[in-house]
Amino acid sequence: MLVIRRRIGESLFVGDDVEIELLDICGGQVKLGINAPREVVILRREVRLTAEANRLAARHVSPEVLARLTKKIQFLAHEGVFPPDKHQ
Amino acid sequence: MPVATNCFGSIPDDAGVHFEFPAGLPAFEHETRFVLLAPLETAPLVFLQSERTPGLCFIAIPVDAICSNYNLALSAEDLEKCGFEPGRVPETSEIAVLAILSVGSSETTANLLAPVVIHLASRRAVQAVRADRVYSHRHPIRLPEVEAGACS
Repeated sequence: MLVIRRRIGESLFVGDDVEIELLDICGGQVKLGINAPREVVILRREVRLTAEANRLAARHVSPEVLARLTKKIQFLAHEGVFPPDKHQ
Repeated sequence: MPVATNCFGSIPDDAGVHFEFPAGLPAFEHETRFVLLAPLETAPLVFLQSERTPGLCFIAIPVDAICSNYNLALSAEDLEKCGFEPGRVPETSEIAVLAILSVGSSETTANLLAPVVIHLASRRAVQAVRADRVYSHRHPIRLPEVEAGACS
């Protein structure tokens, strides 16, 4: 990972047309300003991961796979091993 | 109005709890109306069926069914989207907290990074995406081999 130190008011470029400016630092948080072309998608990491997870989760699940999953989850619940971390 | 679905056929209005995601979900920002279906035969699995897209149905499970001491974090923005007054921490009885599952042929994971939180009174919901790295968006669910598979 490239590490760069910046002070408030200083900025850096990513590629030719994405500029990231350090606007403020307050209580363990930094405020960034980003200048980028409209077509550049900027997402917080966790939102991007969730978007990917949602796309995966939205795929069709066949009735057979769902029936198997249900059976296994109910088996675990019945055996009292769910939630698993209770027993760790 | 009945909701057309790919998985359950046409479901009557009273088949589940209708609710709204005012902001949609990441990657599905235009999907704001869902119905929560909780058939007895699949419990504890539940389904979040889109009202406008018959083929969009998330499989979910109450977070406390897979993680007994989940530490829910709701931002002020999330609370507002769910219709809570600012600054008030909701009681656990006021909300349903669900993890969306990704069901694969070899692995099933739950998104504990971003649980779906439904405010039961207002019927408004949010996918509460956490900024910290305490929980994974692909939390593995270890399932037993309850069926004898064919020998390879």
